[in-house]
Amino acid sequence: MSDLGIVCKHTNVSALNEETIEDLTELEDLEEVYLQLCNEQKQVQAYLQVLGDQQGTIENKMQLLQRMRPKLQLIEGDASQLGGMINFTCSLAENVSSKVRQLDLTKKRLYQAIQRADDILDLKFCTDGVQTALQSHDYEQAAAHIHRYLSLDQSVIELSRQGGESSSVETSLALLKEAEVQLKALVTKRLEEAVAADDLAQVERFFKILPLLGLHDKGLALFANYLSNQLASKAQDNLMLAITSDIGERRAPMIFVDTLTLLLEGIARVIETHQPIVETYYGPGRMHRLLSHLQAECDKQAQSVVDKFIQNRDYQIKFQVVQASMLKGVSTEKIVLRELDAVLSEVTLMNSRSELYLRFLRRRMLADFEVADATTADSVSQEHLQDVECLLKECELSRRMQELIGCYIPMEEYYMRETVNKAVTMDNWEVGQMTSSMVDDVFYIVKKCIGRALSSNSSDCACAMINLATNLLENDFREVLVSRLQVGYPSSTLADLQRGVSSAVILMQSSLQHGKIHTHIESQEQAKNAYLVTLNNVDVCSENISTLKKNLESDYSKLLNQGAGSEHAQAKIDSCLMDMVHTSSKFKDLLQEGLLELNNSAIKSQVKPWITNFLSFSHNIEEEEFGEYEANDPWVQQLIVQLEQLMAEFKDSLSLAIFDALTSLMMNFISMEMEKTVFKCTFSRLGGLQFDKELRSLVAYLSSVTSWTIRDKFSRLTQMATILNLEKVLEILDYWGPNSAPLTWRLTPAEVRQVLSLRVDFRSEDIKRLRL
Amino acid sequence: MSTEDYDYLFKIVLIGNAGVGKTCLVRRFTQGLFPPGQGATIGVDFMIKTVEIKGEKVKLQIWDTAGQERFRSITQSYYRSANALILTYDITCEDSFCCLPEWLREIEQYANNQVVTILVGNKIDLADKREVVRQRAEEFADTQSMLYLETSAKESDNVEKLFLDLACELIREAKQNTLDNSENSPMPGEGKSISYLSCCSLN
Repeated sequence: MSDLGIVCKHTNVSALNEETIEDLTELEDLEEVYLQLCNEQKQVQAYLQVLGDQQGTIENKMQLLQRMRPKLQLIEGDASQLGGMINFTCSLAENVSSKVRQLDLTKKRLYQAIQRADDILDLKFCTDGVQTALQSHDYEQAAAHIHRYLSLDQSVIELSRQGGESSSVETSLALLKEAEVQLKALVTKRLEEAVAADDLAQVERFFKILPLLGLHDKGLALFANYLSNQLASKAQDNLMLAITSDIGERRAPMIFVDTLTLLLEGIARVIETHQPIVETYYGPGRMHRLLSHLQAECDKQAQSVVDKFIQNRDYQIKFQVVQASMLKGVSTEKIVLRELDAVLSEVTLMNSRSELYLRFLRRRMLADFEVADATTADSVSQEHLQDVECLLKECELSRRMQELIGCYIPMEEYYMRETVNKAVTMDNWEVGQMTSSMVDDVFYIVKKCIGRALSSNSSDCACAMINLATNLLENDFREVLVSRLQVGYPSSTLADLQRGVSSAVILMQSSLQHGKIHTHIESQEQAKNAYLVTLNNVDVCSENISTLKKNLESDYSKLLNQGAGSEHAQAKIDSCLMDMVHTSSKFKDLLQEGLLELNNSAIKSQVKPWITNFLSFSHNIEEEEFGEYEANDPWVQQLIVQLEQLMAEFKDSLSLAIFDALTSLMMNFISMEMEKTVFKCTFSRLGGLQFDKELRSLVAYLSSVTSWTIRDKFSRLTQMATILNLEKVLEILDYWGPNSAPLTWRLTPAEVRQVLSLRVDFRSEDIKRLRL
Repeated sequence: MSTEDYDYLFKIVLIGNAGVGKTCLVRRFTQGLFPPGQGATIGVDFMIKTVEIKGEKVKLQIWDTAGQERFRSITQSYYRSANALILTYDITCEDSFCCLPEWLREIEQYANNQVVTILVGNKIDLADKREVVRQRAEEFADTQSMLYLETSAKESDNVEKLFLDLACELIREAKQNTLDNSENSPMPGEGKSISYLSCCSLN
């Protein structure tokens, strides 16, 4: 086809040319046009040739089409026939399915009819069966019939009554109803009798029958009655045994714990044994009901154990004495602490057993409800959860235990306070020990008391004791240490001693007086030791509190791993323990205050004159004096000896950390005091050299006694020595500004000028002219 | 502790007779709930809520105590470390109001003397059952120099205000304290005033 297009174009072109040809006059133009037309003619001819060639194939195709015509007619006929068939099938199918529907309905009705007939037959059968079973005292069989009757569809029974054979059904039903009432009464009565007669076989027999009659609650109540009776008699026996037992026996101090444990374990065993029966015959979700009944008995028995405990151990009386003494501050009636100790241990263990038991109940009930509530709505299982919590929270056992713990806490606090007071009054220090006995004793007591509270398995009880112990340590016990530090460190040893010796000459006249000096020195020695030991005590206390906190944390997490408490309880304990960190830091603050006091009274007053002594040796010196100083050190060696003596006093008596802290305070003071003193002095060139030497010796000595670098503390002084050691004023510029290189100046330009002016040989104009 | 994300941490303890609505106040504030048929609290309950006041994060540790007598010794142990106490009574229950002096005696005995105490009359949604008129409570709070607020945990009236006002007051006091301390604290190296000496000289 494209060929055709081209040809048309060419013919157009030549047609357009037709008019122009007539206008042509030049031969050349004519020839050109002629040539062009000849070319076009050739092309047209070639195209016509192509079209001519195609004619054959087109004719072939036309012939083929001619031949297909009759076949197409055939297909049309077939298609309309198929359409007819499909229509027919469709209507047939509709026809059939409506018949099937009808059949279905009929079948269903037939089944219902059979069911009803069956039910009616069953009813008759039941009616007859119940009668015979009742007559032959076969209660299981009778109950099975009644159960069958009860499980029948009530509407069906209603319909049957309206049906044709109403009269016979009516009588059957009446008979059945009568039998049901009769059987219910009978079985209940028999079960009651069996419970009263303590006949396990009969109890179990009728217990199994009751749920068939729809009397689940009644059955559980009566069964719980039976179990309660069993428990009661045993518990009473145990309690009697406990009260009459010999006081000298080994377990005597724990006899009420043992009795309570026997009771609770007994109940737990009963539950374990009978849970399968209940689950099998009553279905899941019934344990709560049974346990509620049993808990009533448990409460009753636990109460009598607790009552006897209170009576036997004078618990209430002890509590009142404790309360009275806490209110007044002084105890009118002393309690024997050893006795109290035993009772406190007993109470916490009782609570621990009760918590364990209640946890067991919770687990059992929740597991039981979980099975029962698998398919019910959330709200129902939520309600069941609340029922469980309510039973556990509000049972008398919980209440009585809470009351016991309520009294236990003040008593434990009293015990802790009294024993701590005892440890403080009996405080004892032996030479060679860093701390005195009370620190260890106090922490032993506190740990014991909190540990006991923890062992009660009640997080609230443990939290309360942690609070009270923290309070005791932070206020009362810290106050003891504060008051000891308040006595202060007796100022001066050497100075006083020297004064003592010099005045002794006068006092020698009376030997009695001399003795006084001696005791004075001795008591001073004691006061010093007391102060230093207290400092150590404060430090150890701060550490001990941190350790105590860590230990209690791990103790509690161990308890938690055993299944006690919850995450919530853990958060409470953690929060209470957090206060201990604060307490620990309060002891650290006290240590700092005590150290400052020691630095003030024992170090500053002593060191100050030694440093001021620097002024009594001129540093405005010539060769001769410099040489003399070299041979006979005037100041620094003595200072070092004096410092050594002074620190020796503390080195052995203070713990390493405190001693280091004290040394650090002393160094601060020395460097400050030295600076002040140097500014009061004048220097020659050699005097500057002398000072430089002295400072080097001092820094070298101080570095040797400490474990950290002290150069930093003395950098200002060292820089002052550098300045005093200069040849000329201008030399300072070699060290200043861009030339300072590794040196960081700690002195301000004004201070540098001030130091320079200490040199007698530096002219003030030169110093003024300096550009710093 | 310093790594945790807050500027202040305060301990608030709720006290008052059983059934005045302490737990409901705490639940309303911390969880926005009013649980009907709330059972009696056993021992002490513990909740945390962090609020922001003027750009500062304040962590409130709220201890909800049991009102029943037998838990008294447990709850008392929390007084000492409390920064604030919320003393609650029920405006529809004369008894709970009459017990307030008794509670104040407990506070006097066990709490530290810097504690902030606020008196709260709860259950104002039950206006028709009111037994304690507002003026009486205000006068009582005045004589004890306590703040006073009436709330409804059920209707969420004033609950937020109660805790936020308290937090503001505690921040104010904390700032006051640090100011005082920084004045007293000895300069390093000087150590002229030793705080235990100054506090003990008062005795």
